[in-house]
Amino acid sequence: MSDSSTHSAAGQAGAALFSPPVTSRKGMAGRASSVLLDSLFILPFGCAVALLWANTLPESYYIFAHALAFPVNEIGIVLFFALMTKQVVEATLPGGVLHTWRRAALPVAAACGGVVGSIGVYLLFLYFLGEPMLRQTWVVPCAIDIAVCYLVAGVIFGRHPALPFLLLLAIFSDAIGLALIATLHPADPGHLALGAALMVAALASAVGLRRRRFTTFWPYLLVCGTLSWLGLYIGGVHPALALVPVVPFLPHATRDAGLFVEPTPQAQDALTRFERWSKWPVHAVLFMFGVVNAGVPLFSLEAGSWAVPVATIVGRPLGVVAATELAIAAGLKRIKGVGWRELLVIGCTTSVGLAVALFFATAAMPFGPLLLETKMGALLTVAGAGLAIGLASVLRVGRFGK
Amino acid sequence: MRRDDEESSTMYPRPTRRPRGIPVQLTILLVLASAVWGVGAQQVTFPNAPKSVKFGVIGDSGTGGQEQFDAAKEMAQARAMFAFDRVIMLGDNIYGGQGPKDLVNKFAKPYKPLLDAGVKFYASLGNHDDPANRAYPLWNMGGERYYSFSTQNVRFFALDSSQLDDKQLAWLEDSLKNAHEEWKICYFHHPIYSNGGRHGSSVDLRVVLEPIFVAHGVNVVFAGHDHIYERLTPQKGIYYFVEGASGQLRKGDTKRSSTTAASFDSDLSFMLVEVAGDQMTFQAISRKGQVVDSGTIRAHPRSPVAAASDAAGASTLGF
Repeated sequence: MSDSSTHSAAGQAGAALFSPPVTSRKGMAGRASSVLLDSLFILPFGCAVALLWANTLPESYYIFAHALAFPVNEIGIVLFFALMTKQVVEATLPGGVLHTWRRAALPVAAACGGVVGSIGVYLLFLYFLGEPMLRQTWVVPCAIDIAVCYLVAGVIFGRHPALPFLLLLAIFSDAIGLALIATLHPADPGHLALGAALMVAALASAVGLRRRRFTTFWPYLLVCGTLSWLGLYIGGVHPALALVPVVPFLPHATRDAGLFVEPTPQAQDALTRFERWSKWPVHAVLFMFGVVNAGVPLFSLEAGSWAVPVATIVGRPLGVVAATELAIAAGLKRIKGVGWRELLVIGCTTSVGLAVALFFATAAMPFGPLLLETKMGALLTVAGAGLAIGLASVLRVGRFGK
Repeated sequence: MRRDDEESSTMYPRPTRRPRGIPVQLTILLVLASAVWGVGAQQVTFPNAPKSVKFGVIGDSGTGGQEQFDAAKEMAQARAMFAFDRVIMLGDNIYGGQGPKDLVNKFAKPYKPLLDAGVKFYASLGNHDDPANRAYPLWNMGGERYYSFSTQNVRFFALDSSQLDDKQLAWLEDSLKNAHEEWKICYFHHPIYSNGGRHGSSVDLRVVLEPIFVAHGVNVVFAGHDHIYERLTPQKGIYYFVEGASGQLRKGDTKRSSTTAASFDSDLSFMLVEVAGDQMTFQAISRKGQVVDSGTIRAHPRSPVAAASDAAGASTLGF
């Protein structure tokens, strides 16, 4: 990871909104190589294994994938979303890109535009293809693989103010997608009540642990996490999000070191120790996530395979540009150096759904051929990364403008 | 989702003369034609027994094009000699627009002669179908994505293969376990065995469905999706058919393999089936009325456990 993409708290705190952070390897900030980013390099290996296996020995692959789908997609992946939440929680601290919600207004508008644009194009595309059955996967185009986008954006923008804007856009877009997924399969009132009761118990125990100043993350993980998981599972919400409401209660640092920045050895708070502990489990989970979910038949590209990349590559940039310009016209302040060309490139960069889109697909669609089509589409969104770099080159955006 | 029909034999006029098949001259022509097409099997005529279960099979039908009308017309003509009283639909029942007008133009109009004669259609959903159309009365789905119904000694199971959730699988397993009919016939859209070049076998579905079929003594499975007709060699004792060419055709799309027992991919087709006691007779018929494949299957008088142990797929096919 290049130095240009690391942040420092001091740099961010004193800078204007979305101004580029000052690079530092000292102090609170470490190098930009969090567990999440490192996992980025492991996931493709899992995907490659799955593609090879599914296209050579499909029967044994699908038996294996079915057997492991639940433990990986509904239990193991909990750790991945916990680390995502950690990034967001820390971003709200002083020095973080989400500190003061005023910063978030424009990216929220852009994220909403991107969600509407990508879902709109998705449904339109399916309508013209005559594939009404696939409409149930409408939430998939909301997905943005934040880690991949971060890397691609680093290549395009370097230390440009567009980078934190893009990251916030991606975080909010995924948050919208996750919220939508939570509503996809509503449980009956009885289960909902029991699920809510368990969730309340999870949150109450998290508050209790925090008040008793527990400095180890284990009780949060085992007691609160288990209660939360059961609450979501019984309540019909995807249990992969079990640690999302728990993570904010873990004792954490008072300042943010920056998104995807590796904590320094001096940092010993519970949240940081949780991140350190989860390194290998998360690597293993993401590798297995790739193996279990990315095995799709390559020989037949179906309608669903095209719908997802078309929706994210065409719909998201259009939605991002339109919503941001509308928000600016409505009174929000334009970020210096981020005009329509940068917004277009940001939209294109965030078209990569990959791991998150795979997750959204498995959450939205039950097992069957249409799920395979949608997963293939999730993998094909990787093309957005190349297109974004190409577009940036044509439009002379970021590093290509110098 | 489980319905028992009592109608069958008295609903439609029975042939007063001795049951008969296709005339001898035509049979000779058809056998010659079969040899040319590489179908290979000798034509088997229907017993046309008075109290047998007779049904038609169509898949990927709903284009609203002239070809669909032609095949439907041929089906109606076949009914004059072979009075089937129901048709199972293997999905992609309507392509493109899914509104009320489309249901008329791509289903009710082409099959009007059959509908007027009281033939009941039982649909399963394909990837091109709007799930909302499961409430369409003429498809007799009772508003369900998956359901079963029976007549005499046959129970049909219509599945939604596009989204095979845990609930549906549990229902299927339970329904099969509680079905006491001699014949258990499953039908759905995506084939778990197919040599169609465009799609082929849905192996992901196979690893889940096949063990259930084998364990609970399913005899025959019909599917569509690939726009061809194909009969597979028995797999673990179960007979698989692909009939996805009742409205759309993908000419020459069959990639014949060792699992292809017979195939036809040069014109549209549909199937007619008769179940008389422990014997099932089938014919695949082209849009021009030619029998392109036919045969007889006997129900295995075996317990589900015995069927499960028959991994070699020993054939009881009586061609």
